[in-house]
Formats: sequence, C-alpha cells, structure tokens
Amino acid sequence: MATSSPILRAEALEKTYPPLTSGAPGLTLFRDLSLEVAPGEMVAVVGQSGAGKSTLLHLMAALDRPTTGNVYVGETEVTALTPRQQSAFRNRQIGYVWQFHYLLPEFTALENAAMPLLARGVAKSEALAAAETWLARVGLAGRGHHRSGELSGGEQQRVSIARALVTQPRLLLADEPTGDLDTTTSTQVFELLQQLHREQGLASLIVTHNLDFAARCDRVLRLKGGQLHPA
Amino acid sequence: MRFELFIAARYLRARRRQAVVGLITLISVIGVAAGVASLIIALAITNGMRRDLQDRLVGSTAHVLLMKTAGDGIDNWRPLLDKLQHQPHVLAAAPGLYGQVLISRGPRSGGALIKGILPDDELKTGNLLQSIKQGSYGELQPTTLIPNPSPLIPKPIVIGQDLATTLGAEVGDSLLVTSPQGELTPLGLIPRYEHFRVVGIFNSGFYQYDSSYAFMRLADAQHLFSEPDVISVISFKLDDLYKAQQVGHALEQVAGNGFQATNWMEQNRELFRALKLEQVVTFIVLALIVVVAALNILIALTMMVMEKTRDIAVMMSFGVDASQIRRIFLAQGLLISGIGTVLGLVVGYAASLAGSHYKFIQLDASIYSIDYLPFAPRIIDALAVAALSLITALLATLYPSHSAASVLPAEALRYE
Ligand SMILES: Nc1ncnc2c1ncn2[C@@H]1O[C@H](COP(=O)(O)OP(=O)(O)OP(=O)(O)O)[C@@H](O)[C@H]1O
Ligand SMILES: [Mg+2]
Repeated sequence: MATSSPILRAEALEKTYPPLTSGAPGLTLFRDLSLEVAPGEMVAVVGQSGAGKSTLLHLMAALDRPTTGNVYVGETEVTALTPRQQSAFRNRQIGYVWQFHYLLPEFTALENAAMPLLARGVAKSEALAAAETWLARVGLAGRGHHRSGELSGGEQQRVSIARALVTQPRLLLADEPTGDLDTTTSTQVFELLQQLHREQGLASLIVTHNLDFAARCDRVLRLKGGQLHPA
Repeated sequence: MRFELFIAARYLRARRRQAVVGLITLISVIGVAAGVASLIIALAITNGMRRDLQDRLVGSTAHVLLMKTAGDGIDNWRPLLDKLQHQPHVLAAAPGLYGQVLISRGPRSGGALIKGILPDDELKTGNLLQSIKQGSYGELQPTTLIPNPSPLIPKPIVIGQDLATTLGAEVGDSLLVTSPQGELTPLGLIPRYEHFRVVGIFNSGFYQYDSSYAFMRLADAQHLFSEPDVISVISFKLDDLYKAQQVGHALEQVAGNGFQATNWMEQNRELFRALKLEQVVTFIVLALIVVVAALNILIALTMMVMEKTRDIAVMMSFGVDASQIRRIFLAQGLLISGIGTVLGLVVGYAASLAGSHYKFIQLDASIYSIDYLPFAPRIIDALAVAALSLITALLATLYPSHSAASVLPAEALRYE
C-alpha cells in the first residue's frame, strides 16, 4: 500500500485565523500538518470539538485555503487552483458528505442525486439515469420521486451519499456522516460507506466521533495540537 | 444555462420555507405586469389620439395650401388651378375663398369662417362635406348647374353641427350672415349682410370645424365679400401626405412670384409637438411603476438569496461555479420580470384592443375634439416597454446575484 503514490497529499499545512480584535492573538489550527492517503485507503480522523477537523476537510476540497502549505489530489495542486478550477475540481474529483444531508428541499431525491452531473452540463436524461443507478446502490431503488422532507434521516443521508458519488470521484471526504443519526441507522450508513468505498476503490477521509467506526477504518489519525498523530 | 434555468424555475414554483419570500415574488410579478400594462394602455391612448387627430386633420383639411404672400386674392385663377392640378404627386386641387363672418339667428349668434367652394372640387381635397348628417350639399353646386329657383329664396349654406347647436338652427332655417368687409356708402363703411338658408349640417367630430366652419357657393361668397372673381386659397390633395413639404415648394415654383405654400404639418406643428411631449411624459411617469416593480424584484431576490445561502454553499461544494450561481439568480429575476412582462403585455393589449373595438370611453367632443378615446397599440411600443421592463429587472438582479455568488461555502456550512 505504501508504495503506490497517494491520492491525497497535504504538506506543511498551516491555518491561522486572524484575531477578531486587533492585538489579541490569532487562532492557529494547524502547524506543519502533513497527511497522505493512498488509493483504496479509508482513513478516520478523530479529535476534540474545535480541533479543526472540519476545517481540514475544507482545505482538502478547496472550500478554504491554508495560510501556508500545499494540498495535492492526484496530480492536481489544489492550493494553486483558480476559483473556476476549484469548482471543476470539486465536481470531478471530490465526493463530500456532511453531518447534515443538505439536500435541496425543492427537488426530488433523484434530482438531488443527479445535481452534480446536471451542474456539469450532462444531459438531463443521462444524469437522471446515473442518479437512479446510484439511488439503487445506496438502497433507495424506486424512492427517487420523494422530496427530502418525505424521507427519514437515514434515507436522506443515503441520498446525499449517492449525490457525493454520482460523479465517480477519486476522493471521498465525510465530515461526521453519521453524527445526526441514531445508533442503528448510523451503523447502516457507515457500513454503506465502507462498502461503496471498497467497490469504487476510493480514497476516503472520514471525520468521526464514533471510535468504534474509526477502529473499523484502515487507519485512525488524531488531530491534536495542530497536527495529525496516528492513534 | 440549462442547469441555471432548471434551478431558477424550480425555486420560483416551489413552496417557500418563508411564505413572505413567495408573497414578495408574487407582488413583483404583479408589479411588473401592472407597470407594463399601464404603459401599453397609456401609449396606445396617446398614440390613438395622435393618429386620430392626424387622420381627421388630414382628412378634413388639404395636404397643401397655396395662397398669395401678400394675402390678397388670386385673380384669373382658373388657368393656374388647371396647371397646378397636373403637377407630380397632386391628386386634386380646389379653389376656396375664405372670409370671417358673424352668423345670427334671432337673438343667437356666432362667429364663423366661411369657405366659398366648388363642391365637386372641394370633395376631392377634404371630407367635411362628406360628413353632412342632415341635408345635403347638392344646392351648393354653382348656379350655372342648378339655376337659383327664385331670387326670393335665400342662398344655400352648410354649417357645422356645433355651430348649428349654438344658433339653434336646423335644416331649412334662415340665417343672417354679416360680413365685416362691408360696402363703402355715403354713410361710411357699413357691414354687408345677407340671408342664407341652411341646406346641410355636417359633423366631422372635429370641434374646430364643427363649431366654426360654414360652406357656401364660391360665387355667393365672392358676392358677400364684395369681391370680383377671385379666390384666396388653392387646396391640394397629394398621393403621399408626407411629401407635403416638398410638393409645396414645387407648387410655389410653378405658381410663380408672390405665392406661398403651407401644409398640414406646418399648420398643426404645435399640436403634434404637444402630443409628442405628452407621450414622452406619459412614458416617463409610467416607467416609474416599472422601476418600482424592479425594486420589488431586488427585494424578493435578496430575501431569496438570504433564505438559500446554505443551499448555495452546498451547490458550490459539489462543484457549481460562482458564475453559475450568479446566473441562477439572474435567471430568477428575468423569469419574474418575463412572466410579469408577458402578463402585462397581454392585459395591456387586450384592454387596448377592447377599448378601440367597443369605444367604451366617451369623451366630450367640445373639449377633446373627438367623441371617444381612441386606442392604437403599436408593436414598437410593446417592444420598447418589454425592453425597459427586462433591462430594469436585469439591473435589479445585479446585487442579489452578486451576493449569491459571493457566498463562502466553508463559512455558510460551518455552524448548522
Ligand atoms: N472564519 C473563522 N474565523 C475564526 N475562527 C474560526 C473560523 N472558522 C473556524 N474557526 C475556528 O476554528 C476552530 C476549528 O473549527 P472546526 O469546525 O474545524 O472544528 P471541528 O474539529 O470540526 O469541531 P467539531 O467536532 O465541533 O465539528 C473552531 O474553534 C472555530 O471556532
Ligand atoms: Mg466539524
């Protein structure tokens, strides 16, 4: 595993927020943080609330910029992209799952799952067909016509997983994907993620507070003192 | 753009999390429609007014008038008339002798402009005689054609409807016509008066004529004004009324020294200028409604952007570009404006067409010189109004779509 070149590579990351009032010290989240995730690897990130786990995922997805340091996804130097390139990068290479499903309430489950393809300009019929396939893969075959309000929490999260993977990305970033769900549903959703990770040959970075889930990943990293430590 | 329209159209139709956003959207659509409809109707009216006035003016009066610069009469006019009649663009020419008179019937009286005419020629250059509603102009034919049955019967005269009302006169009544251009007698200049018999009453719907015009035989007019066989004006009808200026000049040249031409445009320049100004002012005032409607769109979109901040951030997280986000809200604004504009055009046109068909708004002819409100909607007005509406809406979307495109996804999704 260590021999193949990593999908995700972060080097010497530093992220400092400027102080809210002048004179006060700014908030430094990361100091010389490095990270590598190999293809097929599922890595769990744990850490206290406020440690910067969400911020770390944002940096990986070009939703935020580090103060210094570089992020590479495959050959792409994420930290050097223009805003327009960042959008295309997120659309093609990243699948993002949040704690909350964040489905668009005006659209059906099928349309939500197809959304990243539609945004890319894929023909509607083609995008919906792909979304249909993905809804089936997350266990929601035939449920595509429901609005998000008509689905349970677990089902909503499944739709958001389908939306994250419909573009066939190489890297899956998940920020507490089971944080809003009850224990049984959490387990089901986590196992679904594991299964899809394997089937798609993804590289995954999963932030979780659930140490049981973390233990079931290939590697566990603890974010503490601005750096990632093996745990 | 397909994706942006897909999102924008759905946002427009969807039930709102905040009912007020939907309400303001609805108000925006209605506002745009109201502004556009008002503009269409108002422009149709001003336009109809102008067209109507122009038609009547040009129908009633000659296109070109030729007279002596000095204002004296044209003698030996028959060969001149014959020559001018055959100039290019001239369809017809008619002689006329004008004179100001006082017409009285018992205690009632009114000022009038007499026009001495040859009816056959006059009919070819103006249509006032055609609008005779009671009686006829038959007796105005020259006496060479219809000999005066008896010198005891007063000579025939045709007067306008409003003048007839002022005088309380009807067909067959006798009127006393007094000309200030009297005779020089040993007692000094005394006005000349003569009795005339009403043989026809015309109603052109044009107050200016109906209230003060009267026709009599050319020979009778010459007699009344103590003139020899002269006329004061030659009226021309042209094949193209917009060539009036040019043909007027040509006629001046042919007629020779001492002649001067004027035309319907020159004679009514102030009127048409006032109508044009009225139209411009109407447009500007009513355009304010459209601007207010655009402000509604601004508010509706701004609130929608606030409501959708999280969704915008999510879309950005799966790769929707800021420029696409901007276009979503631009499309949203244009959809609101487009729906309102189409609605307004339909309502405005329907109202204008109904108005011109049913003539349901009556006017006081003595004030407006026409008896109903004319509507004449024009395609060019519709295009101008639609363009105005869409452009103001476009401007109104600039701020909200910019603020939507400036959403920082990491910030917007941090604390949920
Ligand atoms: N724009 C900002 N300006 C200043 N401080 C910020 C800003 N964004 C985040 N922070 C701070 O950075 C820290 C890390 O936040 P982050 O959301 O990454 O933590 P986390 O590890 O995901 O926490 P949790 O487990 O609660 O989700 C927090 O203390 C937060 O207040
Ligand atoms: Mg977090």
